[in-house]
Amino acid sequence: MKHSLLFILLFGLPALGQNRFNPDISANFLGLYERGTGVSDDRTQSPHNGFALQEAELQMLSDVDPYLRASVLLSISQQKNSADYGIDPEEVFLETTSLPYVTIRGGKFKMALGKHNQLHTHAFPFIDAPLINQLILGDEGLNESGVSANVLLPVDWYSEVTAQAFSLTSEDLYGSGNSGNVGGLLHLKNLFDLTDDLTMEIGLSGTMGKNSLAQTSSVLGADLTFKWRPAIGGKYHALIWQTEYLNADRPGQIDATTHLSQAIVSGAASWLQYQFAERWWVQARQEYVGLTKSVGVPSENKTSFLLGFFPSEFSGFRVQYDFENLQGRGKMDQTVALQYNISIGAHPAHAY
Amino acid sequence: MKTIIVLFALISQSAFAKLNVITTLPDLRAITEEVGGSNVSAESIAKGTQDPHYVEAKPSFMVRANRADLMISIGLDLEVGWLPSVIQGARNPKIVKGKPGFLEVGPMVDPLEVPKGTITRAEGDVHPFGNPHITLDPTRMGKVAVIIGDRLAELDSAHAADYKKNALALQKRLADKTKLWQHRIDATKITKIVTYHKTLTYFFDRFHLENPGFLEPKPGIPPTSGHIIEIIDLIKKQKISLLMIENYFDASITKRIKQEVPTIRAETVPVAVDGAPNIHRIDDLYEHLVQAIEGKE
Repeated sequence: MKHSLLFILLFGLPALGQNRFNPDISANFLGLYERGTGVSDDRTQSPHNGFALQEAELQMLSDVDPYLRASVLLSISQQKNSADYGIDPEEVFLETTSLPYVTIRGGKFKMALGKHNQLHTHAFPFIDAPLINQLILGDEGLNESGVSANVLLPVDWYSEVTAQAFSLTSEDLYGSGNSGNVGGLLHLKNLFDLTDDLTMEIGLSGTMGKNSLAQTSSVLGADLTFKWRPAIGGKYHALIWQTEYLNADRPGQIDATTHLSQAIVSGAASWLQYQFAERWWVQARQEYVGLTKSVGVPSENKTSFLLGFFPSEFSGFRVQYDFENLQGRGKMDQTVALQYNISIGAHPAHAY
Repeated sequence: MKTIIVLFALISQSAFAKLNVITTLPDLRAITEEVGGSNVSAESIAKGTQDPHYVEAKPSFMVRANRADLMISIGLDLEVGWLPSVIQGARNPKIVKGKPGFLEVGPMVDPLEVPKGTITRAEGDVHPFGNPHITLDPTRMGKVAVIIGDRLAELDSAHAADYKKNALALQKRLADKTKLWQHRIDATKITKIVTYHKTLTYFFDRFHLENPGFLEPKPGIPPTSGHIIEIIDLIKKQKISLLMIENYFDASITKRIKQEVPTIRAETVPVAVDGAPNIHRIDDLYEHLVQAIEGKE
């Protein structure tokens, strides 16, 4: 039934002669081959060694009327502890298009905690999310139902305040059993044009809400990004340096085996992306988990290198090599991953 | 009381009379500045040295668009990769689609190369609504001046007559110069030119020049060795004497062609206002291109 509805949604309306009012429809899909000493051979785990469809995303985007636009993004991905795939509403929201200085959004969407958490999987700078994001926010990131107000402040540079109120379903961070509990988030983003070719973005964000133990969990985040793309020769060269820091306090969270506290953990990831030719990128990332931490959280550091080839703006092929040290594991884990990243249809522009 | 209201309206109008216009391309900015004169302030998002297909939606553009009374773009999907983000991020109800502050000029000037039937990205980065590089045609840009003049007049009726007069003057000047440019191009005896991308289609169409080959094998796809061999073959067979490379592309590939065809002339040319230091007005752009054909650049 679910598949029939999807088919009608995608292909049925043009048959009825309504295609001029159809939403922009696109699909992204990511295929992965991974081989790592610390990666599971169990195909019910994700990621696992061998071939996998990492994720497929179906997106529909359209103006609703002169006041609103809507976006529906369905994610097809491997379900937790299963080799089967399922369809999940990754983002389904409406937002205002004609209010001065503010965009109001309602629905289910990625929360504005830091920068990386707001990216869809196909737009990740590396094949995987930073360790600290995975550890605190889980595989799906912080993605909740709620409302959001994004306010552009009336100053000479780009300064935006985002305030969000949302459900607390995230198993990894909140998992509040009481559906009446509401979480909150604030994000301040400032972006400066240092020159015509170079920008600097500084972001501060914080979220809090009740967790599964009826205590208050919170995360603070900071991000700093420099982007350089010259006005002359910018088709061929660009450089991005991005650093993100997250610090979580999850009172009551303990290791299930050792019963040691895992309440506090913080970590950072910093990466460089250099475009050295029209279709080629080379990238490096350094990460550390455990800058501050409770006794039950093992510290972890990881280094990644990536080479990306993009035949067009609609396709990409990337190879990534990681080496990772996890406290107490006693050896360094190494992973090689190959990924293709394909986009078809009328895909909307990515955020800067 | 009525007098006070009228007085207040007049004072506010004179204090805020300058229309704030933002354009996607510097060519549109140049036209707007000339048509708007001192009643308009205009700025462009893209720079003249940038490929307009691939401008990044920098948040600073959103700040500028937030304060704009009018956003002028080409449309025809030229800016589809970045302009929707700028408009959404601007949070300015005056410039959203359907409002007088949103103007797309491309669809209003009879686009060329509108594909017929089904199109596929196997053909490269094709534009379903036609070739969007309309600013390279002086005649169409004359019409664009009139379209912009009419829209400025609608938004600022106090100066409507000035806008319309300036637009018609610009249109006439371009029409007069087009005849002279045609004579000069005819005098060169050059009839066929190879370019990197389909950027100059409108210029060639206006001046009766043929564009039988492109260094890109397909729109948006960089040159390959096999395709360059085919282009060299085409140049030899059709006795083509001029390559014009749009200056946001890497022109180094022309060395390979010159090795095989030493007599060919390769010109790296600006294709937008501000694309070179001495190109400030739209006429300067066409003059520069004519001189490149003449071999004077």
